[in-house]
Parts: sequence; C-alpha cells; structure tokens
Amino acid sequence: MAGLAYQLLRIVRSGLPADHSQAAGKQRPAIRYAMTGAMNPVKKESAFRHWPTYIAGVVYHLGTFLAIGLYFIILAGIETGRVAAFVLAGALLLSSLAGFGILLKRMIKPALRHLSIADDYISNLLVSLFQLCTGLMLAGAGIEFIYYMIVSILCVYLPLGKLRHCILFFAARYHLARFYGHRGVWPPRSAAMTGND
Amino acid sequence: MLQVLASKLDSHLLTSLNACVRCGLCAESCVYYQASGDERMIPARKVELLGSIYKYYYRPQARLLPVISGARAINGRTVTEMIDLFFGACTGCGRCEPHCSIGVAIAHVNAVGRAMLSEAGLTPASLQSTVNAALETGNNMAIPTDEFVDTIRWMEEEMQDEISDTRARIPLDETDVNVLYTLNPREPKFFPLSISAMAKVFYAAGESWTLSTRMYDVTNYAFFSNHAAESRLIAERLRDEVFHLRAKTLVLAECGHGSRAFRWEAPNYLGHALPFETLTSVELIHRYITQKRIRLDGKRLKERITLHDPCNLVRSGGIIQEQRDIIHRIAEDFEEMTPHGADNLCCGGGGGQLAMSEYNERRLKIGELKADQIRKTGASIVITPCHNCVDQLSQLNFTYKLGVRIMTLAELVADALIFDQ
Ligand code: SF4
Ligand code: SF4
Repeated sequence: MAGLAYQLLRIVRSGLPADHSQAAGKQRPAIRYAMTGAMNPVKKESAFRHWPTYIAGVVYHLGTFLAIGLYFIILAGIETGRVAAFVLAGALLLSSLAGFGILLKRMIKPALRHLSIADDYISNLLVSLFQLCTGLMLAGAGIEFIYYMIVSILCVYLPLGKLRHCILFFAARYHLARFYGHRGVWPPRSAAMTGND
Repeated sequence: MLQVLASKLDSHLLTSLNACVRCGLCAESCVYYQASGDERMIPARKVELLGSIYKYYYRPQARLLPVISGARAINGRTVTEMIDLFFGACTGCGRCEPHCSIGVAIAHVNAVGRAMLSEAGLTPASLQSTVNAALETGNNMAIPTDEFVDTIRWMEEEMQDEISDTRARIPLDETDVNVLYTLNPREPKFFPLSISAMAKVFYAAGESWTLSTRMYDVTNYAFFSNHAAESRLIAERLRDEVFHLRAKTLVLAECGHGSRAFRWEAPNYLGHALPFETLTSVELIHRYITQKRIRLDGKRLKERITLHDPCNLVRSGGIIQEQRDIIHRIAEDFEEMTPHGADNLCCGGGGGQLAMSEYNERRLKIGELKADQIRKTGASIVITPCHNCVDQLSQLNFTYKLGVRIMTLAELVADALIFDQ
C-alpha cells in the first residue's frame, strides 16, 4: 500500500502540464463523462469489438474487488455462513476462470503475445490465483499457507508492475477528460460528437 | 534525447507511460493495425516502446529485471524502432485514446517520442526539409513573395470579373483590420481558387480583412516533428504578424494541424495566452451564417455529399457540429461516413505523413479504409475543411478509383453565396 501511495504521490507531485490556450469547454462535466458515458461499452471499440474479452474482464475485475473485501473478512475471522460462503466461492471460481481465460488468450494470440512482457503474465496469474485461493478458503479447503503466501507476493508485486493500474486508471481518465474537456470535445453536445452510431 | 524525456515527465506523461495494461484492445481502433494487421502497429506498442525506455532510466528495479519489466536502453535498435513507429506508424489522430480500455494518452506519448528524436536530429529528412523551408522562407513551400503577390492579384481580378464588382478585393498587408486571414501554402501553389472562395465569403459578409505577404502560412510542420524551438519560432512569427498588422482576430484557414498548432498548441509553445481572438475559418463561416451576415442558396446541391472530418480539427479541436450545420444549409443529400465526427477514421495523411515520402506506401494503404468509407456513402462530393486532407483524399480518389470530387468547405459555401447587388 505504501508503495502504491508513493507512486501516486510521485505522479501528483510531478505536476499538471500548464495549458495557456483558451478553454472551449469545462473540465468537470468532462471528468464526469470520462467516468460514465465514455465508459459505455457500446461506444468503446475495446468493448464492443471484443465482447467475450470485455465480459471476461469485467467479471475478472469484479472478482478481484470481491477477493480483496473477503481478504479482510477472512483476516478478521468473521464467519460468512455456509450458503454465502459457497455462493461467494462459486463467484470467485467463475471470476478466476475468467482471469485464466484472459491469460490463455494472451499466451495463444500472436498479436497479444507480441505485445506482452513477463509482467503481464505474472500479474494476471497472481490475481487469478488470489481469487481462486480466496474461493477455496471460503469453501473450507485448508490452504491457509498457500493463500497467505499468494497474498504476500501480490502485496509485494502490486507497486512494481502493471497492477498499479488500479490507481493509474483513474489518473489516465482524469487526464483524458482534462484534454477533451478543455477543447470542448467531452461531454459530447451532439450525435456527431460521438460519431459511431 | 533523455533531456527531452526528462523535461516532459509531468503527471500526464508519467500516467500514460505507466497505465497501459497491454490488453491489446486498442489494436482495431488504429488505422495502421486495421489496414496492415501488423502487430508492431498496435497503438500500445508505441506506448510500450517509450515506456520501456522510461523504465530503464527512471525505475531502478525495472532496470534490474528487464526480463520481467521489458526495460530497454536507448541504442541503435531502439532508435530505429522509434523512428519507424513514432514517425512512420502513427498520424497522431488520437482515435485510439477514447477507445482504450484505460484511457492512455497514446498520441501524446507518440508526440513525446517524436520530440526526443527531433531534438537529436533524427526527424525523417523529408519532413525536416518542409520545416526548414518554413523556417528559411516563411512558408513551407518556399513560395517567393512576388510569385505569391502575383497569384493573389490574379485571383482578385478573376473574382471581380465573376462578381462584377471591383470592390471585391483580396487585401494585402492592410492594418487595423478585423481579420487577418491565413492560408495553407498549397493554396497559392496549387489550388488558388480556394483563396478566392474565402475572399468571396469575406466580401459577402462585408468583412474588413487582409492577408499578409510576410506571414500567411497557417501550417506548422514543426508541430509534427514536435521540435520545441522550431515550432515556437513558427508560432511566434504568426503571432507577431497579428501584432504588426494590428488585426483583431486571426482566422486560421482550412488546415487541421495548422488550426490545432496555433489555436491549441501555440499558447503553450509561447508560454502565454494569446491576446487576440483566434478562430478557424469553419467557425467564422458558421458565425457569419448564424449572424445572417452571409446568405446561402439553401439546398441548392442535389448531388449526394459526404464529409471527412480532419482529426486535429475535430477530435483535438472540438469543431464538430459547425461544419455539419453549414453543409445542411446547402446540401439536400448529406450522408455521414461510419464512423464520423469525433470518432472519424484518419484519412492517413495526418501526422506529417504527406510530407514523409519514406512512408508513402503505408500512407496509401491505411487510406484504403477511408476510401472504403467514402465509397459506402455513395457520395459524389467529399467535403473536408483541411488542405492536407484534400491532398490525401485526392490521392486516394486516384489510387482507389473513387470518382468523387473533393472540395473544401469554403469552396462549397462560395458556390452557394447569394450576393447583394
Ligand atoms: S487498450 Fe489501452 S491499456 Fe489496452 S493495450 Fe491499448 S493502450 Fe494499453
Ligand atoms: S494516434 Fe491514431 S495512428 Fe496513432 S496509434 Fe492512435 S489510432 Fe493509431
């Protein structure tokens, strides 16, 4: 966490680029749009041209948030109840499968393999295992040692590799909104301003 | 090169260099990848290339473990790859950015890569020679002043004959006017009729305006090489000409990158806000129509018409609706391309590609996507408010046998003007 906080601090301290040009639009509505309408999957090619990957990605990310929440519950020794534990374990099994699916895609699709570096495989594998082990823990498998080992590795690796996108995602969308908001492109004021209908 | 990188490492660039997750989902949003299927052309590869250099020099742990991080030093191999990708495989159209699953500023990263190369004297020779022509002669086509003046006088006479009014003028170097108008040097060199087209609009609007003989060039090719001192010098000259002629408003001719370079980038090149109004000619024509300063023969055009949006004017300039409003007034049958507006496909001529003969083959190949888009509209006229786009579209028209007429917006408007006698 400290590592992540340091990264964030570094980015914030490096300063926003000065822009002396006269604004044609406002930034606040653009930032709102960047986090809402601009994320609409039917408007984003990264989503609507890749529905299976997009859906797998959403499930995988939801699984990560769930596993993080459950980590604190497990750590605190709070009982979830048998039914809830099995439902949550099932959900995590599904999300980890989505994660392994994305990993497999990275390994077999030539264009993606070309783009990938080891960090991509490691991050994807670690998070998928984290979800799987969380599910197994809930299901009562006695894998405490492996589980805490994975969590520890994940915590060490988090500020080093691409998992940092958990904070950089918001920074990137902020900067994109700043650019498009200042120039009056976002939020769109007419149909032609989205243009892929 | 590293000095340039260091000078540009603000939170925008730091975020962009670190946020990409290499999901590859931006691939199909880029005309280069779409046209070639070449994985080297995926937008994220351009980010990763600069990102790997950043990691090598700025992240010690990444440098220690290059197998995991992909950190790379600057050497002959990386430089060759940088030139090929940053100059030869990106028009800076920015289409990939809103489609990126994260929102990485890919075009910005590419531009920083170009800045590093240009500072090291590694701008492709053809592009640099265009920049040099502008720096040495005041316009990127090195047109001598007397030749320029002759062309303007010739156009003025033609216009006066056509309108039958000797008060229809193309003023040169007049002071204390409302509008200082600029040109893309392609106009006096190859398409002088587009100068008289805009002159007719000014005449019909009763505008007080002038052209300058010292500095009329709206383009800034150093914007493409992203060379700090050169782009600043070109912007400075245009700014100073506005001061010199004491014009109230600077109007930028139909040129996507020229409009962007002055309207949006010049204040940052110069380090201060511009103390005068700067408008594109598209906005000005739109203003004349809404203020009823010009009248148009509504719906006079029966042929099917389509519109190509210059990326720099639209996605990086926010001028999206104005040109459509103007066309709707004139054309009965207007068909949009798919996609269009802020999501348009680059024609392939942006990013200085038209000036870089090294990449001609690639440029025409990626342009095939635009040719297909045009064909699908069934239009016989393509309007585009950019002379660079006109050039690329004309080459696509010839190469892919589209059989269309390419026109600028001013030409379309000039043909539809109703003159008060
Ligand atoms: S879509 Fe964005 S995050 Fe994914 S690879 Fe492309 S640039 Fe990187
Ligand atoms: S800016 Fe345009 S040309 Fe460059 S990588 Fe993105 S989509 Fe491709």
